[in-house]
Amino acid sequence: MTRCENDRDVGRRTFLKSVGAAAAAVSVAGCSSGNDTSNGTDETTSTENSGGDDATPGGSGSESDEFAVDVTMGQMDSGLDPQDHAETNTNIIVSQAYEKLLDRDKDGSIVAGLATEWERVETGTARFTLREGVTFHDGDPLTSEDVAYSIRRIVFDDVGVASPQKNDLGSVEEVVAGDGEVTVHFSGLNPIVFQLFATNGEIVQQAWIEENSQDYVNRNANGTGPFELTTYDSMNEVVFEANEDYWGEPAAVDRLTLNASSESSTRVNRLLAEESDIVTNVPPQEVSRVQSSDVASVAPVPSTRVIFLQMRYDVEPFTSQQFRQAMNYAVDVESIVENVLNGFGTVTGQPTLEPFTGYNPDVDPYPYDPDTAEELVEESGFAGAEITLQTPIGRYLKDVEVAQAAANQIDSLSNVSCELEQREFSSLVQDVTTGKIEDKPAFNLLGWGNGEFDAAQTIIPLMTSDGALTILKNDEVDALVAKAQGEADPDERAALLQEANALVHDLAPWVFMHQQYSVYGVSDEVDWEPRADELVDPYTATRK
Amino acid sequence: MAGTSLGRFALKRSVQGIGVVWGVVTVVFALRFVTPGSPINAVAPLDATQATRQAIAAELGLDQPLYVQYGQYLFDLLRADMGYSYVKGQEVTTLVFAKLPATIELAVAATVVAIALSIPLGVLSATRRNQPVDYGATLFSLFGISTPNFWLGIMMILVLAVQFDVFNTSGRGVTVIEVAASLVGPAPFVATLLGWLSYITLPAIALGTYFTALITRLTRSGMLDELGKAYVRATRAKGVPETLVRYKHALRNTLIPVITVLGLQLGTLIGGAVITEAVFSWPGLGTLIIQSINLRDWPALQGSLVVIGVSFVVVNIAVDTVYGYLDPRVVYD
Repeated sequence: MTRCENDRDVGRRTFLKSVGAAAAAVSVAGCSSGNDTSNGTDETTSTENSGGDDATPGGSGSESDEFAVDVTMGQMDSGLDPQDHAETNTNIIVSQAYEKLLDRDKDGSIVAGLATEWERVETGTARFTLREGVTFHDGDPLTSEDVAYSIRRIVFDDVGVASPQKNDLGSVEEVVAGDGEVTVHFSGLNPIVFQLFATNGEIVQQAWIEENSQDYVNRNANGTGPFELTTYDSMNEVVFEANEDYWGEPAAVDRLTLNASSESSTRVNRLLAEESDIVTNVPPQEVSRVQSSDVASVAPVPSTRVIFLQMRYDVEPFTSQQFRQAMNYAVDVESIVENVLNGFGTVTGQPTLEPFTGYNPDVDPYPYDPDTAEELVEESGFAGAEITLQTPIGRYLKDVEVAQAAANQIDSLSNVSCELEQREFSSLVQDVTTGKIEDKPAFNLLGWGNGEFDAAQTIIPLMTSDGALTILKNDEVDALVAKAQGEADPDERAALLQEANALVHDLAPWVFMHQQYSVYGVSDEVDWEPRADELVDPYTATRK
Repeated sequence: MAGTSLGRFALKRSVQGIGVVWGVVTVVFALRFVTPGSPINAVAPLDATQATRQAIAAELGLDQPLYVQYGQYLFDLLRADMGYSYVKGQEVTTLVFAKLPATIELAVAATVVAIALSIPLGVLSATRRNQPVDYGATLFSLFGISTPNFWLGIMMILVLAVQFDVFNTSGRGVTVIEVAASLVGPAPFVATLLGWLSYITLPAIALGTYFTALITRLTRSGMLDELGKAYVRATRAKGVPETLVRYKHALRNTLIPVITVLGLQLGTLIGGAVITEAVFSWPGLGTLIIQSINLRDWPALQGSLVVIGVSFVVVNIAVDTVYGYLDPRVVYD
């Protein structure tokens, strides 16, 4: 044996020996870790480092007077740039730090935001008077230039990003910054300008945006809102603290943590283990578990989202109005709401929800009447039709189960057979959003959120000839909506939209399903009421 | 001579590894063109006009020809630039490397759980063959191999976190770095350590159970094999105490294939933690991968898979190298 081989041999043995020793040591540690850890949670509550705090966020400040609130959502943000996203979870997070010119209360009514006064100065021109004494989190004052820049950044492609919110403020032509006010000129009347500005258009600081990279803006925040960002851990958690220099009353919540779990059972477990104070989207099957606990309860609220089965007007058998109406008679929506959604839904009969402008109170939902459905199918000439309902998986509350129930009920008609096709949402939505109607699915379940609380924001994209998602072309609907959008008198406009809703009910381009509820789980230690618009506002939360 | 051979082997495997990673990149890049769904729908609202969609596509570079996108991506990758996430607008390199430590931590913890339980159990099982301990270990192995880790995770959360409040249900409140820092920093070490354990124990057990069962079986069969060999009989004949026969001679030889499997599994665990991470909301690469797939965020997905691919290749090369070092009968060529 050479010296070299000898060394190598010793090294190998030593290594194996040490592995064996390590295994034994770890084994001993492993045996005792259970007991140690059982004390760990209690120990952690008194830890002052971040981990210790996180161990009991639901304690709502049990270790001190600090009022900490933990919110668990279904998904984290897609970056913190308030103008470069278009989805609810990101909106929930950025809305803690950024504000709009106008805002909404929990019921959806317009209230002042960074603007204290707003008026239409002439057709197609709106003026906002800015609130005085507002500062960004970095201490700089809010200026009218910042507001003008923010609007331009959203609507003009050559300013900053190609914002997905481009169409959310109406057809803006020009933005003029004045002395303590901002004037916005539109290419048309823009009859719902203030509804749009109450839902969209977060205000950023021009200098801060221009000085920093896109990556930086997506990881940091410098708004005027009631909470200041302290920690951004992408896809894990976002931590805010109360903005003591807030123009309004400072938040009662001292520290706000937002995190997410895509698993609804994990969200509920966090709530029941008192790790979280507010959790979003509690599914119906978990409601009883929350309600029977002694630490939390559910807080349902009708949302601004309507669920429907849309039928393409140009594909047989949906070319027939009678057949489309038959589908409405064939589906027992009331039973689906009661049995599949545990009552967390309201049956609809028109595309517009009850609190919205343009809702028609005289339009009743289609009753469940399979006999009438079969008669209408016969009259339509499409008896024996075979149709397929496409549904996304997991996008909306119990979407697959709802679609299954509807498809079964249609299939139980003697003269129609209906199959269900489950599709991943990204795949389905690619077909739904194609610019050509002929590429869209013939029959599919979809949901539509309408944060502007206005009938036109549903009917225009989904049911007018030029709508981005339309499955209907009807001159009467087009004319009514066009007339409404050119009508300056709010009452006249609402009447036109009501007429459009009645017409759409009869045309039946959808099987009108239900208004989805947002169901939150809320800790008994926190006093907080949910909002209709799917946002979460811990600013209004107080300690019980 | 051996060193040269080892070096040549490592170099050869590294070149092969680069080929594997390039293959991963290419396959994932190609997937985006055969998978329905567009990242624009994750960025734009459903009712965005076609003009808005085109503007976003141009900004994301999606309007470029396929070969330009592919070439640009490879070129950037060579400069360690994995581009920008379509959805988050953040640098993928930062995003991925911010998530990687959590996944590695979980994978290592699961491996530690596997080692801590399986080797003693395997040895006990082999040395007490056909006794209650052996039956128990065999039953445990069967349970571990046949139980889906997501189900085990959910059950453990319900019982140990919600019902008995021993552990945290989810998340990663304390990192192992913070535990290490508490040794020298102002934070109390014991409390930080216990805080860390309260988060990592359940996901580590959920992820490690399958491998625990696998290695228990491997150790048991290895030990039985070794204990029946002539050299063991010879050591016993020499009058060596039974403890030394088992642990100094038989176990040591059993550990060689066990270490190989453990090393390979570490790579598998890094890539395989996706479901466990989802159940425990563990903020690692798995969470990033799921979200990237759902939102068609191709740069973020590619970045994650490249890092996992590289990790797997590196661990494999390291294990192969160490294996040869441990077993002189292995010849590199």
